Amino acid sequence: MKRRFICLTALLAVCSMSAMAQGIMGGHVTGSIQLDGQISHRDTIIGSQDVPQKLLSNARADILYTNGNFSAGLRYEAYLGPMLGFRPDYEGQGIANYFVSYKKENFAITAGHFYEQFGNGMSLRAYEDRYLGIDNALRGFNVMYSPLSGVILKGVIGRQRYFWLESKNIVRGLDAELSFNDIVKSWADAKTRLTIGGSFVSKYESAVNDWIPANVNGYKVNLPENVATAAVRMDLAHGGFGLKAEYAHKSQDPNDLNNYIFREGNVLWMSASYSQRGMSANIQAKRVDNMGFRSSRTEPYTEMLFINYIPAISKQHTYSFLSMYPYATQSMGEMGLQGDFMYKFKKETLLGGKYGTDIHINASLITGLDTVDAGGRGTDGYTSSFFGTGDTYYGDLSVEVAKKLSSSVKFAATYGYVVFNPITEGHAGDNHHNHVVVADLTWKMNKKNSIRFEAEWMGSDSKYDESIDDKRAGDWIMGLVEYNFAPSWFVSVSDQYAYNDGIGNYYNLSVGYTKGATRLQLGYGKQREGIICIGGVCRNVPASNGLTFSLTTSF
Amino acid sequence: MKKTVLSLLTLVALLFTACDKIEEDQYIIYSGASGEWVDGNGVSDHTQRALIEKYTGVRCLNCPTAEDAINAAVAQYGGKLLAVAIHDSSTFTRPYPNNPDLRTATGNTWSKFFGVFDAGQYPVALVNRTPGASGWDLFNPISGINSYVDPIVNSEATIAIEVSATEAEGLISTTVNLEFLENVGDNLNLTLFIIEDNINATQLMPDSEKNESYIHNHLFREVITDVWGTQIDCTGAKGEKKMTTIDYQVANSEWIIANCHIVAFVSNRDTRQIVNVAECDIN
Repeated sequence: MKRRFICLTALLAVCSMSAMAQGIMGGHVTGSIQLDGQISHRDTIIGSQDVPQKLLSNARADILYTNGNFSAGLRYEAYLGPMLGFRPDYEGQGIANYFVSYKKENFAITAGHFYEQFGNGMSLRAYEDRYLGIDNALRGFNVMYSPLSGVILKGVIGRQRYFWLESKNIVRGLDAELSFNDIVKSWADAKTRLTIGGSFVSKYESAVNDWIPANVNGYKVNLPENVATAAVRMDLAHGGFGLKAEYAHKSQDPNDLNNYIFREGNVLWMSASYSQRGMSANIQAKRVDNMGFRSSRTEPYTEMLFINYIPAISKQHTYSFLSMYPYATQSMGEMGLQGDFMYKFKKETLLGGKYGTDIHINASLITGLDTVDAGGRGTDGYTSSFFGTGDTYYGDLSVEVAKKLSSSVKFAATYGYVVFNPITEGHAGDNHHNHVVVADLTWKMNKKNSIRFEAEWMGSDSKYDESIDDKRAGDWIMGLVEYNFAPSWFVSVSDQYAYNDGIGNYYNLSVGYTKGATRLQLGYGKQREGIICIGGVCRNVPASNGLTFSLTTSF
Repeated sequence: MKKTVLSLLTLVALLFTACDKIEEDQYIIYSGASGEWVDGNGVSDHTQRALIEKYTGVRCLNCPTAEDAINAAVAQYGGKLLAVAIHDSSTFTRPYPNNPDLRTATGNTWSKFFGVFDAGQYPVALVNRTPGASGWDLFNPISGINSYVDPIVNSEATIAIEVSATEAEGLISTTVNLEFLENVGDNLNLTLFIIEDNINATQLMPDSEKNESYIHNHLFREVITDVWGTQIDCTGAKGEKKMTTIDYQVANSEWIIANCHIVAFVSNRDTRQIVNVAECDIN
């Protein structure tokens, strides 16, 4: 049945494409293709290895057919072999994702693979991030129904994708969201806007299968087969003020991540904000306690088979040295606080000058929980006080000032300070304290030509230690020059060099060409071993030395 | 509309029952078998043996070569070297479709503890759980085994160990006799586990082809005691003789008891290093 469905869908897509992407039974076909490749060689200094396949590639083609209320799509993926940093389990090719969907005004149903998120994702987040190598799409049914304006009900049931396989365990959930300004007619134009929501997600995982570790360090643990997370949330806004909050609670879930304890989990996330023209301020807080919720108790890959998502509470930096030590959300326990402030000094003022000046300040602090051990495996594990904090996991402060110096020159200067505890990456060691300074200047010579210069410096109290082999340690400098010839070409050259207490010299040359919806990029150089995180979800990046290329197009 | 609401309420009710609550006194249902230690009759065989634990996987193409090397070493040492093949939860151990799952939670626990899983390189082996210069003395059996085994089997035993086992209606009764040949102290544990021979499961071979007729031998099935062993009630003084009998009810109907063996070893409770080991058939 499955094979027949795939064939029919593929045939539909191919027929539609042959009809030049339009007009087939009134429907149309859209899609995109991405092909990334890599050649890497051994470099004993940075630690890169020869790859036996010589060429590694990740490729995908998404095709979507839409005809009125009906749509169908599929994605063909090929990992031959997977690029460095992607799990070897991705090796192979085939149709990784397919679905059919029907949508009316107040009703929608999807059969097949789908992505979904309830609220902030603290109870359910089925999503894909191709750069992290994460795809936990659910395959099953997703239903949305709106019985009246302002009320949205969702229901899902399915199994999660696991590389080319599927988790054996079932995920099911319900979500309801009420927007009072739509429900109550007299509130429709009110300055105060209120939305509340609630969700319930549970998984079923057999405790009978031999593979499941009934025996953990000598304990046969009485494992709950049904584990659930319930969450409530609110979103209140009044003029420029906003207040958002979500609380989730998880039932007993002994698993590999929490060392088989029976303590129930919870997470509280809050955000308060204020904005007006030229200014915005936001403060966020969260407390996470034993909230790793995965569809398999024993999943060895720490990023795989998550059902929920804990929102990140630190800024996702874009400059290289500020993002050298990204923070990975500790779903098993952390406390965090973040403040963010942006202000624009107006034109023709003392600090604004002729073109105005933007200032952006961000600070975050994340710690562990203050816990008291209560017996380890096969017990409730630990107790913790709600407001107690443990070791510092991560802290940062960044101040960015951006200013247009003339009609053609923009300049931004950033200072950042980062404290990083290596325990969050599973390593012992002292906290790293890094100071970072960035200067970023763009000169737009004319409508077609622009050049950008970037210089970064990082001073750190960390030193390269061969036994730990963290190649990010030490003091670094970096320079980058990027030339754009709009609308088609760009070329950039950069170099990062550990000039003190560190190791490595990482140069890169990159050339890109864009024509219409097609973009080709070639790069040659060295990639430092490290970690990349997107939204607090991370993966390792091994060292590489060689050529990379990327081709993307859409139709 | 009424039907819709009723359907939704029913669905909500069903979902809210979808979470199990385990009471605190039910958290642990088993914490490893143990038996009473009594004075024994002594052990006539004072052989010092070694145990090689091979971490392997059905998708590991060099593992069959390692298995051949280990089989050759077992034959060479004539009963002084015992072997067990452990499948943890690495990428290499994922079973092929329609094949038995050879992975075990206990194997995974050991793999993680001894640094095998984190190192991620298979095949890898450990003899008598010996510490290395840093971490554990893991090695690739294809590169040679003798240098790891010789220092052990060429030394005099400090504890002699003998094991025998019987089975009736799935209950395996294992008797272990110990004789202390030197003063070794009382910081000792006894670990018993079950291995099985002659299991057919598809194996990736060195030529990258899958062998659907591959036979797996001395496959680790399950630990009988706590994974780190049960405490030996002894003084550890030279001349002391101890004996215990430990029962274990087989819960897995896929095991063929006639192909199973019991491995028993004494280890240091703190260092986890194996002192001596013995193996027996199940009668």
